Amino acid sequence: MNEGIKKKIIENIDKLLAKKAEYVDVRLVTEDNSESIVLYDGNLEGNDTTFENGIGIRTLFDGAWGFAATSNLSKLDECFDLSFLNAKSAAKLVNVPLKMGKKKGHTGSYKSPVKKDPFRVNLKDKIDFLKEIDKNLQEEWIFKRYISANMQKKNQIFFNSEGTIIDRQLTDIFATMMVMGIDNDGEMQRRSHELFSYGNGTRGWEMLTKPDLFSSHSGRIKSELASLIKAESLKYGKKSVILLPGQGWLQVHETIGHPLELDRILGYELSYAGGSFVTLDSFGKLKYGNEKLNVSAYGGFANSPGSFGFDDEGSPERDYLLIDKGILVNALTSRAMIREANEKAGRKVFSESGGAARSTAFYRAPIDRMTNVNILPGKDGTLENIISNTEDGIIVDNPTSWSIGSNREHFHFGCEIAWEVKKGKKTKILRNPTYQGHTVEFYNSLAAVGDKSTWRVGQVDNCGKGEPNQAMELGHGVPVIKFDNVITGERK
Amino acid sequence: MISKKIKNIFHAVRKEALKNKVQATLSYHREKSHLMRIGNNSVSLNTSEDLIRMDIKVNIGRKQGTHTQMGDITSETYAKKALHLAIEKTKNSLDLDFDPIPDVIEEDFVQKEQYDKKLETLDPAFKQTAYKKIIDTFGSGYNFSGSWSSGSTENFFITTQNENEAYHLLTDQNFSIVLKHPKKMWELTSTQTGWRKSDFKTNGTIKLFKALIPVYEKKGGFKVKPGKYTIVLGPTATAEIMEMALWTGFWGRTWEEKRGWTTNKKPGDKVLGSNITIIDDPENENTFKFKFDMSGKKRKEFHICKSGILKNLMYDSQTAALFKKKPTGHNIGSMSMTMKSGTGNSSFLKEIKDLGTVLYIPALHYINIPNPSEGIFTGSSRFNAVLIKKGLIVSPIFSTRITDTFQSVFGNVKTISEESVSVNLSNTYGRRSPVAVSVPSYMVTEGIKITDCADSF
Repeated sequence: MNEGIKKKIIENIDKLLAKKAEYVDVRLVTEDNSESIVLYDGNLEGNDTTFENGIGIRTLFDGAWGFAATSNLSKLDECFDLSFLNAKSAAKLVNVPLKMGKKKGHTGSYKSPVKKDPFRVNLKDKIDFLKEIDKNLQEEWIFKRYISANMQKKNQIFFNSEGTIIDRQLTDIFATMMVMGIDNDGEMQRRSHELFSYGNGTRGWEMLTKPDLFSSHSGRIKSELASLIKAESLKYGKKSVILLPGQGWLQVHETIGHPLELDRILGYELSYAGGSFVTLDSFGKLKYGNEKLNVSAYGGFANSPGSFGFDDEGSPERDYLLIDKGILVNALTSRAMIREANEKAGRKVFSESGGAARSTAFYRAPIDRMTNVNILPGKDGTLENIISNTEDGIIVDNPTSWSIGSNREHFHFGCEIAWEVKKGKKTKILRNPTYQGHTVEFYNSLAAVGDKSTWRVGQVDNCGKGEPNQAMELGHGVPVIKFDNVITGERK
Repeated sequence: MISKKIKNIFHAVRKEALKNKVQATLSYHREKSHLMRIGNNSVSLNTSEDLIRMDIKVNIGRKQGTHTQMGDITSETYAKKALHLAIEKTKNSLDLDFDPIPDVIEEDFVQKEQYDKKLETLDPAFKQTAYKKIIDTFGSGYNFSGSWSSGSTENFFITTQNENEAYHLLTDQNFSIVLKHPKKMWELTSTQTGWRKSDFKTNGTIKLFKALIPVYEKKGGFKVKPGKYTIVLGPTATAEIMEMALWTGFWGRTWEEKRGWTTNKKPGDKVLGSNITIIDDPENENTFKFKFDMSGKKRKEFHICKSGILKNLMYDSQTAALFKKKPTGHNIGSMSMTMKSGTGNSSFLKEIKDLGTVLYIPALHYINIPNPSEGIFTGSSRFNAVLIKKGLIVSPIFSTRITDTFQSVFGNVKTISEESVSVNLSNTYGRRSPVAVSVPSYMVTEGIKITDCADSF
């Protein structure tokens, strides 16, 4: 790090403290690189890179946050001043003062586990790798092919007025392949596969080139599409629904992850993302699901976009349960939110920050986000075991559509593919599957949770939340899960 | 305003591109953004961002690449380095199997008619005072939250194809507030938009809440049974459904690739009801106006759907090149989608007094498209949604899901309001990029499918 800038940052923090700021934190992003490569029908339609750097400063004054950011580091002093002025101005309308509490300053560092930095692999090699997969996807009857790889690398130094300094180098890699075909009714159907992990290993270029995580799935999605375009549509009814991890992660994301973000619960996201059906009174009491449901945050995975060492308030990531045998016990939290929640509840609902304050770029202030939100593996065996114990159901995979109630109390999901299950056997493929439900009722109808053999970590690179909006990267470790009495298909 | 120094740097980079015999488009994007958030009757965040980006697009024959640089672009060396990065990655890329259409700025454009210095430099105290007045009017027994974004967006771009310059400067604001009952949990909202400071009126929000609060305070929520209903869609719901219908039905790419609900139709075919006309009208004052798109093409009134007939599909230059069509001025940039108003009385309650049971749904939360080929969308009601009988508001409704098709919603419209309003559809992911559409203040549509309803708001 440039010592001159470091010195200037610390001097400016001191300057704001002298002006009675209660707390200041700073995110200096020295480089934020992203690269996106898209092959569409073999054409390199996306060949894009972005480089960003700058500084974001957050100041707490009289219970209110002010934030300012600039991409022009020669205006560092002015940016500190503006952050302070914004906090001062905000403080004129404070009924519930925000408080950070006191923490001892600490230092730390984190580096995503990477063997081969994707930004050091030359473009030609990256394109050749994707072209090879594209070649494998080609068939006369396939109407469109799509392959994308998205790589991100961010170097960031965090400072706060407690003396904390954290240096982080975060690397992420995401990839998708998809084939599309025209079905019997002339409608487009698709089948896709997304790069995933088992929570271990490293997350550089070597992750993408590991065949079992990505390239080897090209044959499977082609053969599934071949059946899908000849399949009949799923009809409206009520039956068991078995979610493969490719769909399960979205279910967890939308109906457990988002409703358990503490800022949503406290009403800070109402004008855009929405609220939550969960209240402060729910913790320790709400039977979110039946006793088969165990959900954790973070999970201690080495390899996931939701593993980042320290959050954007300098708190270390924590591994803890959100739902314990069906009972709601914790939330996704940050420092200021837990203090406010405990005060409002009149009891200590949350003991410490969950390390979930995250910002997507230097020009965005941190908010409560998901890290890795995971359903823990269960005792109901393999996918085959779960199928054999199903009388009338469908297995679904990969989302095409998601629509959720504003308090996350109900949902409607569309998937790429379904397999009918009758009397313990997988029978035929069905197209246009959808299912819907009400969150608490749904998780209380959890009928089976697959074992570790069914569990994998889905990667998410586009979770949207906040104003100004922030798209965040995170992960979900999910086994195969089965729910009974679910409404499937569309009412005519 | 862009300085002469930065313009000179862009021209120097252009010369460098010409020297290297590459086609290049060089764009400058500056945003001065301010946003105030409210939560729990307090300002929860007061944020300012001053960000400059340089976007470089390079074509070498059939190869193409883009690079975006944020940071110090006040240095010519730094900007040229960014160009060379883009050139290098383009050289190392693949030939497309079609000839890309180069960006050409058709004439010099300078557009700043929707710029208000007062809004660009708005003191956050103005927002804080307005929020305080609203909160004080109704009391802190309610829980208020919201956000108010304002700022300016400046775009300047040049290409190696000619010496023309395109310049656009715009201010915009997007205000929202949510009033929530802390125990009964119902929520009301008010939104306002515009490009001038004076477009915001505190009393407009107060008046709306004063009209709705008695209904919500008096009656509990009504649980709507699944079935078909006559629904009055408010402007935000109409705007969002229209936006989705446009993406999946009227974009050249979606149509050419048979991915949308108009796949089996062609220009000249009837696709929606006879009372539906949608135009991209860059002169519409309800929208943020752009005379040109980001390929440099001049934009003018563009008929998409006239009296239910598919008139024209929208082609960006990449899609046009791929399918050998002509670009229509729809490369990224703000579009001015306009749904034509009708003849309905501006008060929808008067208009529907003889219709029996009607649901008023002004906005839909989290719309998505489970089946674009069939035009099926789904989303649920949230704010300000009520049950109406014989023109009188009976009670608020619980969170209610519509799952139906674009063809049904825009094919069974009985009445369209005579009044047009602006709906801000901007998102603030990444860069500031204001978008507003013009839609009727309401639309009465019949036989719409309600597929689910929660037990709560």
